[in-house]
Amino acid sequence: MPDASLLTDEVRAMVGEETPMGRVRVTPKAYRRALEVYTGRIPRSAPAPGEPVPGYVLAALDSEADTPAMPSLLPNSLLISNEWQFERPLRMGEEFESVYSVVAINERFGGRFGYSIDFRAEVIFKDPHGNPVARSGRTMTQYSAAEARDGGGT
Amino acid sequence: MTLDSSAVREGDELPILHLRPDLGQVIRYCALQWAFPPFFYDAEAAKAYGMPGTLVPGPLKVGLLYRAVDEWLGDAGWVCQVRAAHRRPDLTNRPIDIAGRVARVYDENGARRADLELAIINEQGEHSVRGFAVVEFTRPG
Repeated sequence: MPDASLLTDEVRAMVGEETPMGRVRVTPKAYRRALEVYTGRIPRSAPAPGEPVPGYVLAALDSEADTPAMPSLLPNSLLISNEWQFERPLRMGEEFESVYSVVAINERFGGRFGYSIDFRAEVIFKDPHGNPVARSGRTMTQYSAAEARDGGGT
Repeated sequence: MTLDSSAVREGDELPILHLRPDLGQVIRYCALQWAFPPFFYDAEAAKAYGMPGTLVPGPLKVGLLYRAVDEWLGDAGWVCQVRAAHRRPDLTNRPIDIAGRVARVYDENGARRADLELAIINEQGEHSVRGFAVVEFTRPG
């Protein structure tokens, strides 16, 4: 365990910062690719403009821009959770403004990883009026395998 | 078969979704995200990370949970939220089951909703992912 918290003011200041990621659109290509990935089916056609599409199309929108890297405070990292949230179904042809945000950074003491730091970040997809329509979140934990119980591996 | 949302009750179980994510599916997922960590497709790289084989990406698994809920729900509603807490890795080309049950049915803002508890279960019977979802029983208009 470090002698002092690794959550410096500079690191804490990242929480709540929003980074614009640009515009993304729900396209027939995004729909077809996401459907093939998640179901193995290759659709013959795509929903008409304005029709609802499955939420996993979000994964195809995520890829339009690279999210900023988290600071590397400890030598090892592990994905511990993913979450998708929708205010309403996504629709074919919709355009969103995507915004990256660090939601929370927390230290943990003890447990399987020993001292560890959780970073929760999300990409928010906003409609043209600025209203959030969907969020894609993930939580990564950083830890030191040398100090973790059984190396921290899963 | 169409789900009768008015008959959904706490304790109802979702049909088990039997899957075997293979390397092709994982590579298509990596292409969708345009992210290619080698332990997802290169067995030697996975071994260097201490894994016995290539891994099913965690973010792919949240989408598989979504699929299991979406297929159960059909046209009876839409998925508002899905969450995956990753407990242990799943290897490619190994069978997994996605199980779920209705934990709570309630009204919120004039809409009927349900909370679902979900799990991905590996061939050893271990829960590799604990999941959660919220659905709303209205047709997307």
